[in-house]
Amino acid sequence: MSDLDDFKATYFDECSELLTELEEQFVAIEAGERDADRLNAVFRAIHSVKGGAGAFGFSALVGFAHAYETLLDYVRDGRIELTDEVVTLCIRANDIVTDHVAAARSGEALPADYGMDEKNRFDALARGDAAEDDTAGEPDEEFDIEFVPVMVNIGGNDDDFPEIDDTFEALPMAGESGHWEVHFTPHRALYARANDPLLLFRELAVLGEMTTKAVLEEIPPLSDFEPFAVYCSWEITLVSETLTEAMIREVFEFVEGDCDIAIAQLGVGTPPTAEVKAALVHPATPSAPAMAPINLLELADDEVAHLLEFDIEPAAPAKAKADVAPAAVAVVEAKADDAPGLSFADIADSIKPAPVAKVALAPKVVITPAATPETAPGEEGERRSLGVQSIRVDLDKVDRVVNMVGELVITQSMLTQQMDETLRTRYTELVRGLEVLAQTTRGLQDSVMAIRAQPVKSVFSRMPRLVRELGLKTAKKIKLETVGENTEIDKTVIEQLSDPLTHMIRNSADHGIESPEKRLAAGKPETGTIRLSAEQAGGNILIIVEDDGAGINRDRVLQVARDKGIVAPDITPTEEQIDQLIFAPGFSTAEAVSDLSGRGVGMDVVLSNIKKIGGSVHVRSWTGRGTRMTLRLPLTLAVLDVMLVKVGDSPYVVPLSSIVETIQCSRANFERVPSGGQVLQVRGEYVQVIDLAQRFAMTTTTEPENRFVVLCEAEGSAKVALIVDDIIGQQQVVIKSLEENFERVEGIAGGTILGDGNVALIVDVQSLKTSIIHKNAA
Amino acid sequence: MTALRVLTVDDSRTILAMLHHTLSNAGFEVLQAEDGQQGLDVLKTQTVDVVITDINMPIMDGIEFIKNVRATGNHQSLPILILTTETSQDKRDQGKAAGGTGWIVKPFDPEKLISVIHRVVH
Repeated sequence: MSDLDDFKATYFDECSELLTELEEQFVAIEAGERDADRLNAVFRAIHSVKGGAGAFGFSALVGFAHAYETLLDYVRDGRIELTDEVVTLCIRANDIVTDHVAAARSGEALPADYGMDEKNRFDALARGDAAEDDTAGEPDEEFDIEFVPVMVNIGGNDDDFPEIDDTFEALPMAGESGHWEVHFTPHRALYARANDPLLLFRELAVLGEMTTKAVLEEIPPLSDFEPFAVYCSWEITLVSETLTEAMIREVFEFVEGDCDIAIAQLGVGTPPTAEVKAALVHPATPSAPAMAPINLLELADDEVAHLLEFDIEPAAPAKAKADVAPAAVAVVEAKADDAPGLSFADIADSIKPAPVAKVALAPKVVITPAATPETAPGEEGERRSLGVQSIRVDLDKVDRVVNMVGELVITQSMLTQQMDETLRTRYTELVRGLEVLAQTTRGLQDSVMAIRAQPVKSVFSRMPRLVRELGLKTAKKIKLETVGENTEIDKTVIEQLSDPLTHMIRNSADHGIESPEKRLAAGKPETGTIRLSAEQAGGNILIIVEDDGAGINRDRVLQVARDKGIVAPDITPTEEQIDQLIFAPGFSTAEAVSDLSGRGVGMDVVLSNIKKIGGSVHVRSWTGRGTRMTLRLPLTLAVLDVMLVKVGDSPYVVPLSSIVETIQCSRANFERVPSGGQVLQVRGEYVQVIDLAQRFAMTTTTEPENRFVVLCEAEGSAKVALIVDDIIGQQQVVIKSLEENFERVEGIAGGTILGDGNVALIVDVQSLKTSIIHKNAA
Repeated sequence: MTALRVLTVDDSRTILAMLHHTLSNAGFEVLQAEDGQQGLDVLKTQTVDVVITDINMPIMDGIEFIKNVRATGNHQSLPILILTTETSQDKRDQGKAAGGTGWIVKPFDPEKLISVIHRVVH
């Protein structure tokens, strides 16, 4: 039910805004500004409150808001003068609406007669001034019954909204010969409202066996022919055992008034509505058997709706059946009154005992609104604790706070760094204060980040459709599983996630999952599975797209990469390195071109998009068993924990998350390889060495033995050893984009401004590591 | 088989959210606008298969919106459904006169909504 709760939260937020606006409007109205714009705004606000309340079944609120809205409508069109007295009444009404909203939110029930005095005054005012317009019979009941709250069932949770079984089908249904004839004569202007006879026929054809005959006599000579007018009429016969006139009429619901329809049942004397109507009368009689109201409720909902051509849905959960049954019947009378031209007269004729029923029903009509609240509070009460309050804030404002907190964190860490030993011993109080400050700023930072965090659900929820479409397009059977939808990531990251994920899933569906025949031949289930999951791992979020397809065709990938000069002929990459090649710029296998052509993008776009938000991509594949692509994304984009190092005379920073350990060069175990490069032996493992000074063309003055090795781990546990001149320390930095402020630099992920105002570049470990292949290839 | 595109126009975020939920679950692509003017702006650059619009909205109400859509060159045959709490025939007639194709009464039932859309979409 979380969806419904989400919507409720949205609704209550919206109500708060609307009520605030109401208040503002009435301050102006009280001051004498009574122009139409204001009145319209007030009307709309109440109207919106009512609309949402109806969706969630807050019937007390609906009832009151409806009466208030009617009053405002009359004020708006001048039928009621907006005197000071009316304004005072309205302001009081706003308070009552506010209380109703609050009660709905908390799940507490207000007294049944709450706001009744005001409501009666609305009704009196509306009646007094609008009597001549209102031919709708008993005005006292009008407001109680005209708007029947209908709960929305989202996601079809059976516990809250019991399915109503189709028992009405077992009831005697008229027209069993099932032979109907329909004469359909559209008026000339039928097309003007985008209604189309063909669509109507399409729907009629579903109802039963249909034959049509077009009557073409009206078609004028070509000179008089208007292209957008309808000149045909049709004679249609429909044969179906279960067909009723109401079902046929429903098809013509939208074109009523734009056409003439005559519906007749062949070979049956009684009008089809008679028995239905007779059945409807039963629930009012006290002697009706206990089960009867239930069956009849269903009948009532459905049949009444059809009969009167209104879209009335099951009026309430089944637990309220006994109460609702009479209400549903009451709807017949109410709706029929304000729907002139409908078949109420026919219905009345068809049930001669109707007067009795009417008398019996009329008093019960009044209890409808009272009956529903009895069921609603219980349901609301359970959800009360789940109610989440929220406010809407401009994202810019949040970003400003995030940036300032980032700067604050940096200033704080700078202060801490500047405490040397002498200061430390001399000012112990200051040191303690700084420690508390450090803790508080951390907490502040976390809280601010939580504001921007959003569940990945918003992106994941778009994927099932994509998979469905891809399945259809590629004629493969694919199902999507999603895990960890509630994992939260920074909003900016989420926004950037949609495209890469789409590509990855597309790739899995196109290249990963095999055709059903191939899968069966390989002894796999016919339906392929793509699994999309999200989880938090330390300071990162992992988004994993996994398929159980054929895996990456490494021979082919390597061949293509060599052909395109991405990998030099003399290099033999490892299997893992080959897998990563699918993200290399300019790499695109022949199939990929055909599939993604028109979009002009390949998997390298995934990589560049993900890099833009400080993440990385890694792919692993098992031949015949599937492929797993892992996106590693930072929890936040704003602040990065780094190690500050020196290369030449310049400060560089290395993201702390990628550092495994640091080793003094004098103690490091270097070995030369035949190609002239160096490798580092760490615990029996040989690691590629990159001298940053060399790599970034800096001159180093530091003695080789005084330099340091920073051992880093790139994606997929691949290690790389960076040689730097000095290690300064650990701190946090705010990332600034180099691309935005300067230009993209290979091997550099971005820049930052240090506490002393110097600019430091952020080393991109992943791209340094992957560029090894390129460099050697060049 | 491409998804049908639905433009939803309503000033209530609650209703927009519920429409979005219902329609996207049913496989539609959903575009949103918060009033008639925004709706017209969307239609200038996007093609949609069906429009669902509220009546009571600020800036430009649903009736005006429908009239405007119908007045624009290539939207004569675009189905426009009126989503309204108005149960009165009067409002419906107004909506129809403006060029509305059909209507849905708020609060809507998801299945009904989908079936009504299918009823008017070519």
